[in-house]
Amino acid sequence: MIAFVLFSMGRAWQGFWRNALMSLAATLTMVLMLLLLAGFFILQNVLLASLSFVEQKVEVVAYVENTATQDQVDGLIARIDAMPETASVEFITRDAALERFREAQLAQGREDLTKYLESNPLYASLNVRLSAPTDLDVVAEALRSDQLVRNVLNIEALVERVTTVTGVVRTAGVAMVAIVGVIVLFIIVNTIRLAVVARAEEIEIMRLVGASDAFIRWPFVFEGAFVGLAGALITLGLLVLAVDPLSAAMVGFFNVLPLQLGTLGRDTAAIVLATGLGLGVLGSWVSVRTYLIR
Amino acid sequence: MILTDGPTQTPTPSAARQPSLFDRLTGRGRAPRTDHAVVVLHDVTKRYPNGREALKDVDLVVPEGDFVFLVGPSGAGKSTLMKLLIRDELATHGDVVIDGYDLARIKRRQVARIRRKIGIVFQDFKLLPRKSVFENVAFALEVTGTPRRQIKPAVERVLALVGLTAQADQIPTQLSGGEQQRTAIARALVHDPRIIIADEPTGNLDPVISWEIIQLLLRINELGVTILMATHQAEVVTALRKRVVALEDGRIIRDETSATYHRED
Repeated sequence: MIAFVLFSMGRAWQGFWRNALMSLAATLTMVLMLLLLAGFFILQNVLLASLSFVEQKVEVVAYVENTATQDQVDGLIARIDAMPETASVEFITRDAALERFREAQLAQGREDLTKYLESNPLYASLNVRLSAPTDLDVVAEALRSDQLVRNVLNIEALVERVTTVTGVVRTAGVAMVAIVGVIVLFIIVNTIRLAVVARAEEIEIMRLVGASDAFIRWPFVFEGAFVGLAGALITLGLLVLAVDPLSAAMVGFFNVLPLQLGTLGRDTAAIVLATGLGLGVLGSWVSVRTYLIR
Repeated sequence: MILTDGPTQTPTPSAARQPSLFDRLTGRGRAPRTDHAVVVLHDVTKRYPNGREALKDVDLVVPEGDFVFLVGPSGAGKSTLMKLLIRDELATHGDVVIDGYDLARIKRRQVARIRRKIGIVFQDFKLLPRKSVFENVAFALEVTGTPRRQIKPAVERVLALVGLTAQADQIPTQLSGGEQQRTAIARALVHDPRIIIADEPTGNLDPVISWEIIQLLLRINELGVTILMATHQAEVVTALRKRVVALEDGRIIRDETSATYHRED
């Protein structure tokens, strides 16, 4: 068994180098296809992270009656915070609200007109962040039914539009990666088939001199694995080289959108390796099968 | 997976142990037996999926050690007959028995082992262009899992037999047509086959070289290897006075020993 594996690997290595041009073409195609796949995979993940960032932005704003005491407000915060749909609750006092308004005006370069006010016209508010934007109704309803709450900013229609759009974009992203995956599958399998077909005569001779199926098949399968592995490693090398300049260019973008991409690097490496190796083996397996004993 | 050859299952009629080709070459072992049929076709019909009947009701028995010319016009069924013998195709009806194995009944994994009993030689040699003469012959042993240390002596012996020892390191394009065909014959012999099937082996060669190849096949035949040779060359067939099986439209129309052949096509 070990002797057979060594034999097959030896023949695969020989086959790879004796048909260097064809092997090179196959490896190059493999690299391009894996780059394409990895690119779309990374893009899809950035997209997903951006979407959840947008969705986290959804806040329910409830204005609190001016008559409410601090104790009552604390009670309200505790009740809302206890709801499973709530991610976090922030209380903005009337003074803080006025301060924010002033800052906003200043930032837009407008004259501060609040100094002409005799008293603070703003209400204190509860800004509630949601675990998921679809939970909006539950939280908004709980706030509305509370006596301390003067009114709740009506953002249901807006949120519905946002979730519709993010849903469509999510589905489209998955579909795109799936389509690219299928394209990559066919192109890689076909490239390896070409490399095998180019050696049809060698396989024919092997059959005629009485080589068993295993002796014909496994060297080609190992060769496909070599091509897949080489392609995957070159692709990963290129990606690693690209990471630094790319993230430097993206720093501005990422400052705006603090995305959570913790395991993306590891996932991409796993996908590239598995796809390269898997398709290399699959491609040779199905291509050689045509030539085996009927 | 067949990794190595296990003990060969004892087939029904051919249990007799033959001395190897090399034993016979070196004078060891017994004289070749001639009473045992290595090829038996019984009532064989081959119909291709497109409906064409390439062979019809063919009966053929070739005893061990025979030298048979297979003649007939193109499309008569010679190639189909040879494909049936190496189990490249299966007969639609009837039995094809090689050295005691009914090819329709053997398991897929046995096919490769049966093929090693048959050496095949083609008109276009089918040599690997980037391998040397030695490597081309060794290839047949490598891909059937022969241990490395057995390969070199085996290849050297067959190369000596066909007279190519001096050319062992040359690649096919450096050889003459006759030398290329002798390389192919060496490769066919290296498995120590019972039968050599030669499909127009001299078709691409000039008459003098053709005769050299025929002489070589005759020598191999004298060593006990059964030879089945398809050919168009009437003068060769007539001169040798061997058994002639003539095919036409998929039927055997003539099967004579010490026969002649006049091309009519």
